[in-house]
Amino acid sequence: MIDKHKQAFQEEARELLVELESALLELDQNRDDREIVGRAFRALHTIKGSGAMFGFDDIAGFAHNLETVFDRLRNGHLAATADLINLTLAAGDQMKTMLDEAAGHGAADQARSAGILADLRRLTGAAEPRPDAAPTAPGEAGAATVGPAREWRIRFRPGPTVLLNGTNPLLLLGELRGLGDLRIELDTAGVPPLSEIEPDRCYLAWEMVLTTAAEPEAIRDVFIFIEDDCELTVERLLDQAVQAHAPALETTPAAPDRRGATGAETASSIRVSADKLDQLVNLVGELVTVQARLSELAGRRDDADILEVSEAVDRLTAALRENSMGIRMLPLKTTFARFQRLVHDLAIELHKEVELTLEGADTELDKTVIDQLSDPLVHLIRNSMDHGIETPEVRRAAGKRSTGTVHLAARHSGANVLIQVSDDGRGLDVEAVRARAVERGLIERGAQLSEGEVFSLIMAPGFSTAREVTSVSRRGVGLDVVRRNVEALRGSIDIAGKPGAGLTVTLRLPLTLAIIDGLLVRVGQTHFVLPLANSLECVELTRQDIQDAHGKHIANVRGELIPYIRLSEYFRIETALREREQIMVVETEHGHYGLVVDQVLGDHQTVIKNLGRLYRHVQVVAGATILGDGTVALILDPHRLVQEAVQSVSQKKRPHDRSKSVNSRDFKPTA
Amino acid sequence: MAKVILTVDDSASVRQMVKFTLADAGYSVIEAVDGKDALAKLNVPVNLVITDLNMPNLDGIGLIRCIRANPACKGLPILMLTTESQQERKLEGKAAGATGWIVKPFGAPQLLAVVKKVLG
Repeated sequence: MIDKHKQAFQEEARELLVELESALLELDQNRDDREIVGRAFRALHTIKGSGAMFGFDDIAGFAHNLETVFDRLRNGHLAATADLINLTLAAGDQMKTMLDEAAGHGAADQARSAGILADLRRLTGAAEPRPDAAPTAPGEAGAATVGPAREWRIRFRPGPTVLLNGTNPLLLLGELRGLGDLRIELDTAGVPPLSEIEPDRCYLAWEMVLTTAAEPEAIRDVFIFIEDDCELTVERLLDQAVQAHAPALETTPAAPDRRGATGAETASSIRVSADKLDQLVNLVGELVTVQARLSELAGRRDDADILEVSEAVDRLTAALRENSMGIRMLPLKTTFARFQRLVHDLAIELHKEVELTLEGADTELDKTVIDQLSDPLVHLIRNSMDHGIETPEVRRAAGKRSTGTVHLAARHSGANVLIQVSDDGRGLDVEAVRARAVERGLIERGAQLSEGEVFSLIMAPGFSTAREVTSVSRRGVGLDVVRRNVEALRGSIDIAGKPGAGLTVTLRLPLTLAIIDGLLVRVGQTHFVLPLANSLECVELTRQDIQDAHGKHIANVRGELIPYIRLSEYFRIETALREREQIMVVETEHGHYGLVVDQVLGDHQTVIKNLGRLYRHVQVVAGATILGDGTVALILDPHRLVQEAVQSVSQKKRPHDRSKSVNSRDFKPTA
Repeated sequence: MAKVILTVDDSASVRQMVKFTLADAGYSVIEAVDGKDALAKLNVPVNLVITDLNMPNLDGIGLIRCIRANPACKGLPILMLTTESQQERKLEGKAAGATGWIVKPFGAPQLLAVVKKVLG
């Protein structure tokens, strides 16, 4: 059970270190803000207190020294300096290493701890740390009962307010009785006439004779909580050697502290290991698949009773799925907050002035997506700071603010989350990229490429326009890694920018990697699933409509002209010519588009299965799912589908492009 | 009926340890993450409050004062968790009306001893 507490402490300490770090970075901007100092102090204080409780003595001791410094900051005895903040950041990192060591990963460098503490003492002018006195806890009376029993006379008169403060004198007498044989006499001399009695007050006193082997300290310890608030004498009955007299302490009730009256209510929560959640989601996925089989079966049997049960199971599964997916959703806040530190450190390393602004940090995303998002974002931010943002001198010369900005924004868009990393740096030089791509043999000289396509070249492996290799830009290994990571998450990347005016990289990521609400459609004998979040409406397409449009793939939906893609043509599926077809109107980042299918079958809880490595270049398909009858349906990515279609229309002859070795149209699904 | 103890601490690990120890000894435990949360949770009868001192929103001292100012909680025992270095805070807590204190770090036996001392 101790291990359980230890693990809880480690998790908590890591969170506190993140909190400490963000407080320090804020403090760096606002050196005089006591509130922020208070936050840092509390984080250190809790690490110290809890660390000592669970046997992390080295971490507790280390945190204690920092806490002392922050206590002085808090009281205004010391000013926050850049050196102090940087040193504390380093100390935070050291504590992280110590936590890792305690968890069995790596080893913390003791010399480094000592070095940080020495620097701290130098900075603050503090004296050598004195080892903490051995902690003692009250209430251990009776622990040392050795030696012969002696008789003690105890006079005890509690202060008048002890009852109000929650002390029950009778319990104390009971505790004395636990030490040995006790004779008690009640002294009622202090009780006033009835008319003057205040029921909350204590007017009684006791005189007792205790026969015990315990030391007089143990006897006094019984009264430790009210030793300042009572009259107490403990005397040896024979020689009457020990005598003490503690005057009653006046207590003044102070006004209640209302400082935190505006803070939000904190929801109670429990910690569950991520593995258990993953397991839960996997099980729900299996359940959804089985449920699809049940629905299918019930539909075929046409038995009202089975149908009813099947529908009830359907509803419950949907609710269960939504719930369990919701549990895995986390705000991007913690991931984003970490980047403040990255930007802070990088700015120092690169001698640039950069501030990071955040937007939409409350946007929630599946935990698995978040976990794998950190690396690509680090790459993008490094890239922005190294290649994008100029040195302060260059920026001033260009008429910009000397401090560059990296903006990190997140927002929802249908079944996706868009995460943007933008900077106001020198942007991307289209010609330089083109020249570099020719040099690297990525494109042919004189190839006609749109700006977007040129930008996508910088994501190619081994591509870098940086003139010199710095320790920050990873020697030409960078953006292609980002692309691979994002694609592994079934996401995509768009780059936009103008020379001199910065660069914006947009990551488009699915909300979840596990289960989505889908719409099941049929084209010929093949089934497809469209994400419900992207689907707007379903309208009919008649032969008359097609004639009216003179063969152009455009439908008139209540006055709005919607271009459409005929899925049977796109995937080259043989279908019988039908009088009526259906258009699914989908929302993409390019606007509203129609997808023509033979039939819309209805909504479908879709457990997403990966297609595997072989099909990783097939971008229009987001995955596959297993239907109730055991057949496989492909899950389409409407955004990609429209993008591919628009591109293939706008350029009938595509230039040689190595970034896509398999053209999606060569991929013909079979069901 | 089991006695109800409200444990107030912004440290989840300390709360967990306190709760586990007390629940194991047969007490019924309510958790609160700070003083403000604790005040909200005092709407049910509680036999004892164990509070940390350093907490966001409303700290331990503030919490003790609020409880002592509330006639409904008259005479409610309050234990504060202090550290050896917090002598002044301890006195402040005493003055605010704390019944007693437990010095961190503490183990299960100390915690139970002190709880027994004020709760009987």
